[in-house]
Amino acid sequence: MAEVRLRSVRHRYPGAAIDTLRELSLDIAAGEAHALLGGSGAGKTTLVNLLSGLLVPSAGSVTFDGRDVTGLAPRDRHVAQVFQFPVLYQSMTVAEILAFPLRNRGWRRAAARARAVEIAERLRLTPLLGSRARALTLFQKQLVAIGRALVRPDIALVLLDEPLTAVEPATKWRLRLAIRSIQRELGATMVYVTHDQTEALTFADRISVMHDGVILQTDTPEALYERPDHEHVAHFIGSPGMNLLEATVAEGSFWLGADPLGSAGDLEGGPCTLGFRPEWAVLAPADGDAADATVTAIRVLGVELHRPVGIVTADLGGREVRTRQIIDVAPGDRVKLRPDTSRLVAFRNGRRLGWPEDDRA
Amino acid sequence: MRSWSNRAWLGVLPVVVVVAFSAVIPLMTVVNYSVQDIFDLSNRLFVGLDWYRETLRDPRFLAALGRQLLFSGLVLAIEIPLGIVIARSLPRRGAVAGIWLVIIAVPLLIPWNVVGTIWQMFARPDIGLLGAGLTALGIDFNFTADPLDAWIVLVLMDAWHWTSLVALLAYAGLAAIPQAYYQAVELDAAGRWQVFRHVELPGLKPVLLIAGLLRLMDSLMIYTEPFVLTGGGPGNSTTFLSQHLTTMAVGQFDLGPAAAFSVLYFLVILLLCWLFYTSVMREDEADGGADGR
Repeated sequence: MAEVRLRSVRHRYPGAAIDTLRELSLDIAAGEAHALLGGSGAGKTTLVNLLSGLLVPSAGSVTFDGRDVTGLAPRDRHVAQVFQFPVLYQSMTVAEILAFPLRNRGWRRAAARARAVEIAERLRLTPLLGSRARALTLFQKQLVAIGRALVRPDIALVLLDEPLTAVEPATKWRLRLAIRSIQRELGATMVYVTHDQTEALTFADRISVMHDGVILQTDTPEALYERPDHEHVAHFIGSPGMNLLEATVAEGSFWLGADPLGSAGDLEGGPCTLGFRPEWAVLAPADGDAADATVTAIRVLGVELHRPVGIVTADLGGREVRTRQIIDVAPGDRVKLRPDTSRLVAFRNGRRLGWPEDDRA
Repeated sequence: MRSWSNRAWLGVLPVVVVVAFSAVIPLMTVVNYSVQDIFDLSNRLFVGLDWYRETLRDPRFLAALGRQLLFSGLVLAIEIPLGIVIARSLPRRGAVAGIWLVIIAVPLLIPWNVVGTIWQMFARPDIGLLGAGLTALGIDFNFTADPLDAWIVLVLMDAWHWTSLVALLAYAGLAAIPQAYYQAVELDAAGRWQVFRHVELPGLKPVLLIAGLLRLMDSLMIYTEPFVLTGGGPGNSTTFLSQHLTTMAVGQFDLGPAAAFSVLYFLVILLLCWLFYTSVMREDEADGGADGR
């Protein structure tokens, strides 16, 4: 299992007018479960192909454990990949498929077979060893594909390119759990590509959020959630995402219109965007001048302590605000936004301002 | 409330009429002829299965059938592998790919009798490029006199005419194999043969089945090209079933025997195609399902 390092990697497809990946650097520790999260067109698949060697970057370097593999062919990199749909050789049995990468690398039949049996046991595929690939369910097929990726003991990196796309929702979590537990058990370095934040947040030790050919932020799921470095990350992560409101910094405080919203520390004055998670604020009933918003919609998600809780959506001077709270308001009610001022995240020009992380540190 | 109406039959009537006139009635006419001895339109005699017995014992029928099977076997054995090889060596994308496809498709656009004529001239020992060339090299070549030479030209001609079809179908089949399969075998460090054996061949199977069936049926029915090229000769050495049948039905006006021959001919084609289809599909059924790629 290798430590993976990308340095100033840039990629432009032949004939394309712009770079698909722009100046991208990333470190993945040995044995780490890493997720690449982003919408379509973010450059995730290009990055995966650079890691597997199917593409050679236009500039920059890729190293595995300090060894430069930038120009190395896929077969020489000790990389395995699991694809969006199960890619299995239909004419082979499960045992043959699992042994295939080993046999191609000069393993003796018996040794390859023994290793295949071992991997099958870990994935609970033993009863299927004699079955042909096409007789399997989609779930089993993808599990076999994962097994084939993990069968080589010298594997440096396992790439999973949206491996749950084709799997039905009911079995998605089972497969994700299976992948995660094998990853832990074997200490495999894994890169998991997905556009689904739930998959990324529940699978990975660390996540890289990609957008438009760059990595906006690489961090733990908690940090991405609490302290997004970028407005796009703030909005993208979480369901619903962070509320983002236009505000100003003046006299050491944040101001939302004429209302002070707590200390801004020593931030430079000027306009900013304030972000807060739906659960970091409440929309409280208010009358007359005290109110600053009108409830537009309510979505009940459950009951806590005999009271309904859910998402309250309100219109605040033309901007939509969502909170996750006890539902004690109704559509049309006048309310006052009360955020937890200690958790506000401020952005300027799309990037997070130094506060409040510095204060907390 | 459910109402029953027989008017639905009117809806399928057009199809029934078309099928009746195009297939059922002509076929039954032939069956009808095959059990009668016909002297003229008013003088006919029911003879039961006599014509069938006679045909099956007829050495000329059996010889033509043998030649037919040999020809179809040879043609399939050459055209299917050659078509795959051509398809694999074609570029997959770009303007060049389109040009190649057009070039490859050209033989398919040439009328069959023209194909026969082209090869008849091409192979002529006196003026043909192939025939005269071989003669100039000192090789004794004359397809109008030597049965082996005639067969070589015939098989070459058919391969030239029809390998394109297999190649185009195989090309489409290769293009339909998802790129991920090629990436997977590359990561698995598979060799070229394994890529072909485990990725391309399984991916090509459906189109190869179609290609094989089309070539089998067509080659069993071949008539025009050998008729133009060799006229069935030298002797009877390139007389296939269809030509034998034409000689009987049109040349000698033996309607009864020709009809029995036709029915047998039809059954032979049907049987061979069924055998071909089931033998290719058997592997899948043994696993209890279609391929679920």
